[in-house]
Amino acid sequence: MSETRFKTLRDTPLEDYLTPGSPLCAGCGGQLGLRIFHKVLGRNVVFVNAAGCLTLMFVYPYAPLRSSWMYTAFASAPAGAQGIRDALDILLAKHRIEPDEDLKVVVVTGDGAAYDIGLQATSGAIQRGLDFYYFVYDNEAYGNTGFQWSSATPVGSSTTTTPSSRFSPAGSLAEKKDLFEIWRAHKPPYVATVSVAHAVDMMRKIERSMGMRGPKLFIALAPCPTGWGFDPSEAIRIAKLAVETGVWPLKEAINGETRHTYIPRALRPVEEYLKTQARFAHLFKPKKQQEIINMIQERVNEYWLRVAEAEGITIKLATEVK
Amino acid sequence: MIEISGHNIIIALTIHYVDEPMLLKVRFHGRGGHGVKTASRILGEAAFNEGLYAQDSPIYGAERRGAPVAAFTRISDEEILERGFIFDPDIVVVMDETLLNDWSAKPLDGLKPGGIAFVNTTANSQLYDYGETIRENLVIYDLTGLALKIIGKPIISTPSAAAASKITGIISESSLIDAVTSELSEIGVGDDVIENNIILAREVFRSIPETPPSTKLSDSKRELIPLEVVISYPGYEDIVSVGNSPLRKTGNWRVFKPIVDFSRCTACGVCFVYCPDAAITLRSDGKPEIDYDNCKGCLICYRECPPRAISIEREVRVW
Repeated sequence: MSETRFKTLRDTPLEDYLTPGSPLCAGCGGQLGLRIFHKVLGRNVVFVNAAGCLTLMFVYPYAPLRSSWMYTAFASAPAGAQGIRDALDILLAKHRIEPDEDLKVVVVTGDGAAYDIGLQATSGAIQRGLDFYYFVYDNEAYGNTGFQWSSATPVGSSTTTTPSSRFSPAGSLAEKKDLFEIWRAHKPPYVATVSVAHAVDMMRKIERSMGMRGPKLFIALAPCPTGWGFDPSEAIRIAKLAVETGVWPLKEAINGETRHTYIPRALRPVEEYLKTQARFAHLFKPKKQQEIINMIQERVNEYWLRVAEAEGITIKLATEVK
Repeated sequence: MIEISGHNIIIALTIHYVDEPMLLKVRFHGRGGHGVKTASRILGEAAFNEGLYAQDSPIYGAERRGAPVAAFTRISDEEILERGFIFDPDIVVVMDETLLNDWSAKPLDGLKPGGIAFVNTTANSQLYDYGETIRENLVIYDLTGLALKIIGKPIISTPSAAAASKITGIISESSLIDAVTSELSEIGVGDDVIENNIILAREVFRSIPETPPSTKLSDSKRELIPLEVVISYPGYEDIVSVGNSPLRKTGNWRVFKPIVDFSRCTACGVCFVYCPDAAITLRSDGKPEIDYDNCKGCLICYRECPPRAISIEREVRVW
């Protein structure tokens, strides 16, 4: 790997382009992700946003970013990015702006727009080779409207549309859509998963992608105190647990070639992660739903067994309780 | 009321005689996450349990947890024909005292002469000047402190509803407790938490004096209410600049305040990196400086600080 300027947390750029006083919830993982992303990309950025929690950052008359921001319809953020990129390219070609005035075009959406409503427009933009960044803050449901199910919702999560009930005690039983693989299948120059609790890993990935031309895509697991049901102060701990239990793998794919950037050598039991959040509380109370917890553990184990095999290493899996 | 004493069952009926039709309007002001909407629902249901008509509705904008929220409860002994926002409350329940200074919330707006203002505060009423408007009819109580003690969280839907119920003078403790139980189970609160909320409700209900407003309750009875258009935009040049959000001053969202002990701080920068709001900057010596005007009090810094150099303190008065 090439030299990186991000070796420890102390290398985090001091300059902030996010200003305090946004209207988002205290402890918002998505906003933290955006803040770090912006730090690494620098000042010359234009965001293209589709409906989601972060849309509310700009509630008149306040603006919590020192860069530009454009809204589009829910399904159209990558199309909006195409328009801005084209306009910038034309201005550059006509020498109406200097190269140092050029902007990085960044699509920022939640999982609702990325996994569901805007997937088609993203597929088109990646296929056209649009030179842009896509930053998804994935809180695994439609958080903005009150935490309804999205195709990013994991197995066992209750949402307002998939509550734990007599008919479906486990909450959602649908498999979380594998957006990383869907995007990777398009063979973009860069696609990665990141976690706000692994800031160094995240900053290195952004740095690595900055030298590439074309679609550069990031999926960040964004702990959501309000939707997931935990105390805001726990946000980073929970994001770390997602990685240490193997629920959220940290990886990247350069031109379609996948590599894991962090491999937990001994997975902690998924139960430790699930227990921290109210959206999984029904798996433990009033009666422990061991078979669902086992199912989640089994999927995680299967995933990491394949990784261990591919990498030629051993990973100590967490055992299922029978 | 049914009372069982020995082998005799005594049944007594309580009837409220009201001389003229009454319409009692209660407006709750709090922040997203306080339980404002639930408070208005509990009060409404408690009134309903008393055999009265009740109506409740919340209003919140696009903003998130921590942003000002209001909710309305109307109580009457006749069918309620009035709808919409309450602009002329008989009782306002201010669930967060910092809202008194918030230009967008304006909790005391329209409070009728003789109306009651309840303020959730740690302060003694003599300590602060709340202004002429409510000096006469002010009821205060530290609901947050009690909630933290009993349920361990600063969620104050139940105690706020209990305070409002008691103030009205027309709602009994048992109607309140029934309403707490049914409203909280409806939103999926666990039995143990409901138990604690009942303890909380009883404690508040018994501590707060009955102080019915001396407003003319029939004021707006069966009248056409003109809809008010509320326009209140601040107008100054800052609104056209990017990064102007610090003017919002989200610091008054805090319940607890993080405080850095600089003698233990190792300048590792962890708090700075993980602050979701960029409310922490690093000084030239690498140690943090917290922007208390805007720190929302998520307390990630407190939780993550490796040398445990950050402590927390209950926020009393922020602005």
